[in-house]
Amino acid sequence: MHFVNAVPSALGFLFAGPLVPADPGRFSLVEKLTLAVLIFTSAGLFWKRFGVVLDKILKSRKDPGFHLGNIGKRIWDFFWEVLCQAKVIRERPLPGLAHAFVFWSFLAFALVTLNHIATGLGIGFLNSTGIFGQIYFWFAALFAIACAISIAGLFIRRFVVRPIWLAREGHELSWESGVIAGLIFALMATYLASFFVADTGPATRILWWTHTLSLLVFLPLVPHTKHLHLILSPFTIFFSRGAFSDIPPLSGDEDFGLVTGKDLTQLVSLQAYSCVECGRCTEHCPANNTGKILNPKEIILGIRGYLNEYGPTAEELLLGKYNSQEAAFQCTTCGACEFQCPVGIEHVPIIVGLRRGATNTGEWDNEYGSKLFNAMERNSNALGLSALERDKFIQKQELPIFDGTQEYCLWLGCMGGYDPKGREIIASFVEVMRYLGTSYGVLRKEKCTGDPARRLGNDLVFQQLAESNLETMQTQKVKKIVSICPHCVRTIQTDWKEFGAPPEIEHHSEFLARHQAQLPHNKTDEKIVYHDPCYLGRYRNIYDEPRSVIASAGTLVEPERTRERSFCCGAGGGLAFLGEESGQRVSSVRAQELVATGATTIGAACPFCNTMFRDALANGENSPRLLDIAQIAAMQLPQPAAKPQA
Amino acid sequence: MKIIVAIKQVPERDARIRIDASGKWIDLQDVEFAMNESDAYALEEALQLKEAHGGEVVVLSAGPERAGKTIREALAKGADRAIHIQSSDETELAKFDALGVARLLAAAVKDEQADLILAGLQSDDLGLGQTGVILAELLGLPHATLILKIEKTETGVKVLRELEDGWFQHLELPTPAVLTIQSGNSKLRYATLMGIKKAKTKEVKVVSVADLAASAQSQTPVVTLDAVKLPHKQRTTQILGGTPAEAAAALVEKLQFEVRAI
Amino acid sequence: MSSVLVFLETKNNEVSRISWEALAAGHVLAHGLSLPLDIAVVASPSNPILQKVQGKAPRKVYVIDDALLHAYTSDGYTAASAQLIDQIKPVSVVFPHTYQVRDFAPRLATRFNQVLISDVTGIEVSGNSATFIRQLLQGKLNADYHHAGDGISFLSIQAGAFRADEPQAGETTIEPFQPKLEASQIRVQPGEPFRASAQTVDLNSASILVSVGRGIKEEANLPIVQELAAALGAELAASRPICDAGWLPMERQVGSSGQTVAPKVYLAVGISGAIQHLVGMKGSQCIVAINKDENAPIFEVADYGIVGDLFEVVPALTAAVRKAKG
Repeated sequence: MHFVNAVPSALGFLFAGPLVPADPGRFSLVEKLTLAVLIFTSAGLFWKRFGVVLDKILKSRKDPGFHLGNIGKRIWDFFWEVLCQAKVIRERPLPGLAHAFVFWSFLAFALVTLNHIATGLGIGFLNSTGIFGQIYFWFAALFAIACAISIAGLFIRRFVVRPIWLAREGHELSWESGVIAGLIFALMATYLASFFVADTGPATRILWWTHTLSLLVFLPLVPHTKHLHLILSPFTIFFSRGAFSDIPPLSGDEDFGLVTGKDLTQLVSLQAYSCVECGRCTEHCPANNTGKILNPKEIILGIRGYLNEYGPTAEELLLGKYNSQEAAFQCTTCGACEFQCPVGIEHVPIIVGLRRGATNTGEWDNEYGSKLFNAMERNSNALGLSALERDKFIQKQELPIFDGTQEYCLWLGCMGGYDPKGREIIASFVEVMRYLGTSYGVLRKEKCTGDPARRLGNDLVFQQLAESNLETMQTQKVKKIVSICPHCVRTIQTDWKEFGAPPEIEHHSEFLARHQAQLPHNKTDEKIVYHDPCYLGRYRNIYDEPRSVIASAGTLVEPERTRERSFCCGAGGGLAFLGEESGQRVSSVRAQELVATGATTIGAACPFCNTMFRDALANGENSPRLLDIAQIAAMQLPQPAAKPQA
Repeated sequence: MKIIVAIKQVPERDARIRIDASGKWIDLQDVEFAMNESDAYALEEALQLKEAHGGEVVVLSAGPERAGKTIREALAKGADRAIHIQSSDETELAKFDALGVARLLAAAVKDEQADLILAGLQSDDLGLGQTGVILAELLGLPHATLILKIEKTETGVKVLRELEDGWFQHLELPTPAVLTIQSGNSKLRYATLMGIKKAKTKEVKVVSVADLAASAQSQTPVVTLDAVKLPHKQRTTQILGGTPAEAAAALVEKLQFEVRAI
Repeated sequence: MSSVLVFLETKNNEVSRISWEALAAGHVLAHGLSLPLDIAVVASPSNPILQKVQGKAPRKVYVIDDALLHAYTSDGYTAASAQLIDQIKPVSVVFPHTYQVRDFAPRLATRFNQVLISDVTGIEVSGNSATFIRQLLQGKLNADYHHAGDGISFLSIQAGAFRADEPQAGETTIEPFQPKLEASQIRVQPGEPFRASAQTVDLNSASILVSVGRGIKEEANLPIVQELAAALGAELAASRPICDAGWLPMERQVGSSGQTVAPKVYLAVGISGAIQHLVGMKGSQCIVAINKDENAPIFEVADYGIVGDLFEVVPALTAAVRKAKG
């Protein structure tokens, strides 16, 4: 044989220009028939499973309120995240790049594979003597090398290094992944090997059939494994809900959220079947990282398991065999999972949907939850305090009442109106606005935006609050709102849309950033670490505005997990009101991370983050100062000689 | 078990107190209303009994049209049907004393043959704390007040009653009986979306006060509320200022030499 | 035979303080209407407390005694009281506003086609008519009530609303009253009263009480207040939320659902002064309030107040007390 020549041939490959794979020659009729039968069998087995999956997805109910808008963004996301594998690489660089090569090889191999099968049927179309064929085969070979190395590396990562995020509960190793990796490697190896064998020789034939069998075994395995994402994920990414953590409206009198299989929608089912079990969601989940049982990956796979066993028209509870109520209610809705997912799964609407199913039907029986909902109904604020307390605060701070003539309505929110720390933030922000001469007023009566009810799935309370507030805003002619709380901003701007047209609203960091030129700066050397609130960062894409305020006062320092990867403070999702958590406190973990930067001040932009860290830092000696950006900005204002008596 | 729960819609606790033009009540403009707190606990107790033993929970309320919202809330939490004794305006019921109101309630339920009638201990607005007890006397039924827990027994119910100074007592009484429920004994369930939607199909029987007054043998009230006033401070308070150390020293001096306690 | 009839309640073989206050109220009414005052009490005629009752100058003391009344039941007390009232036909019947009275007095009033005017905080008599003052909306409003018609009026008096009288001289006769009761009339079977915990704390015997409320924030902060109590030689008390949370036992609770106290000094630390608490300590001789909210209702009833952070004021106070005591 020519193996003796193989090595110099291989080297010559690199220097002497493209070689081509060996031509297997003519196939006998028996071989062609065999091939045809194998193809039909493989395709049949593929469809046997894929058809079922497709059926389950299509038989799920239609998503209420979903429309295929913003096509430009969808096409861009498809290009950037699917074709360029941007998120795959960016969030886990080395394994991500390896995966990208495997994926790009699949694309590159498209014609190779078609030609391969066609050759077997006697209708091969890529001419290995023509220049196109030569260049293409060489090009595909480069990818094959990259793919072989990548898949081998990924195999080692999965089976030798064994990162915990890849595991599933009860299964540390995924044998199907090993098999698939083996098949892919075999495909690449057989392709590359075919460069070094003679045309029409027995070796060539063996390689050809090995390659073919690898393909035809691979195909039916796809719908039975997580490799279904090969087919589904481009659709999943294209058919995203259209916005981050986009909670769909309830439709009609019988819709209470995700209660049973009947409530699963097409998007949810599509996403459930797209999961690749990579565990990036779980890796970044603050609950999972602090000892809670919540595992975002298992939530999605739990829905997949439910669909596999019961289907999309079943009456069994979703929070039952495959998913637990306890886990669903440990979520802070921080969105790290949804942000990380490379195949477009939108975890937060699903978790909120499961919560809705439990809360709206009364299945969720939780002492703190009941107290919270009763407080929101009785007192119209999440803290259960008398509205008179808020009135007293307004009087004490001499805040003007909004009467329709001022430019801004300053929204206090529950924290700004009742919490001592929140009130300090309001007082500081008011100082800044007074300095700038901004015209603003506060509403005489404010009800909670309903954020905790919304995230915990209580649509009754949420609707009552949203509608009441929208009416007030209309009668009071509120046009623009500024708020110190990212939760209020999110809920007013986005969630209230389900019940009316909310006024424009911005977060005070946006206001402060815009006015930076007009505000005095007293920059020191002090290290100030900034913590990105979930509802301002991932939810609203505001990262730089708060930083500009901090940078004007001191040296901005970033924590290890920052910007889109910021680690939650633990308060979101209504959890601030639900009593003690199991495992470590999320706020303690994050507080430690912030303290570890060596900064002497922690800069916050959310009153919830502020409250959570204050409690977490309370027990430490030499804890850094904890200041909201409003306080940082106010500190730089010229201090009056005699403050007016509060 | 068939349980009737008497509930009252009262002004919410945070309502701004301004005396109205008649001088006999507060100005109700911009005032929001809620279910009386101890009635909510009574309803919770009734619903728990129904969940344990089956049966029916009927909600009974006297009030103007706006009371319908609180009645629906009770239906949303799980009550099966309701009877609304509807007054024509805000002042009609004010002309009845507690005995008069209780007579209306008794007339509305005389054919119901309930096993238990539950009421809250007292209302957050008038605070007389008697309606349940009067109802028991009018219906000739045994009663108990300040109840924290109810258990069904072979012969009736066994209840836990709160006494003063941290003492408690169990009582056994036959049914039918009337019980008035103390707040705070169990956690209140929240009204759910599903509950509200189901409530829309539940029966609310509306009967007017005027129609009922005849069969209720109403008499002229023996007790009348003639005027309301804002309270004035009873004593002058001396606020001791300064730093904590200064205020503390001033207080100790007062306690030593003026109060002569140390 | 017209008179004002005051029902007293006994507790541990003592007439309860709130009963003496009801008696004082009865005297106000009787004096205003120029009527004699009688007392009724369920007790055995040989009970030594009757000596004390004599000294409070009623005209007659009706001692209601029956085996079926040894344990309180609403049916028994209602029937027995009704029979006495039928016999002596008073103009007005006055009760102390206790849990027990709230249990049977409305029933009793209904039997006479009357309505109990409950939880009265003031009585004003002019001419032949009396105005009874009650609180509405949890103490946020005062209301004037009147009794109409010729029937008997029934009242119950709020704790601390009237000052218990000093003993007066006067002619008193003790008259036993034997009601006609049948066991079948008593439909409720009462069990033995029991305490939630074994400890016995008597807040009423302390002359100084240091009472802690929600302002203390956490159970772990209680030592701050305990030290102050120790320095003052005071007993520790609390508002309802503290006891509900289990941070202090129930018998330390002061308020409408706890104990009613009237010590020489009542120090309310971090207590806002909600009406349910005020009701339990209003009668204290000297009330001191420490609260960071200057608008807290507790300051309305306090004699001395410090507006400040209790975490700073209380330790400073403890130090100052220790220094003064030497």
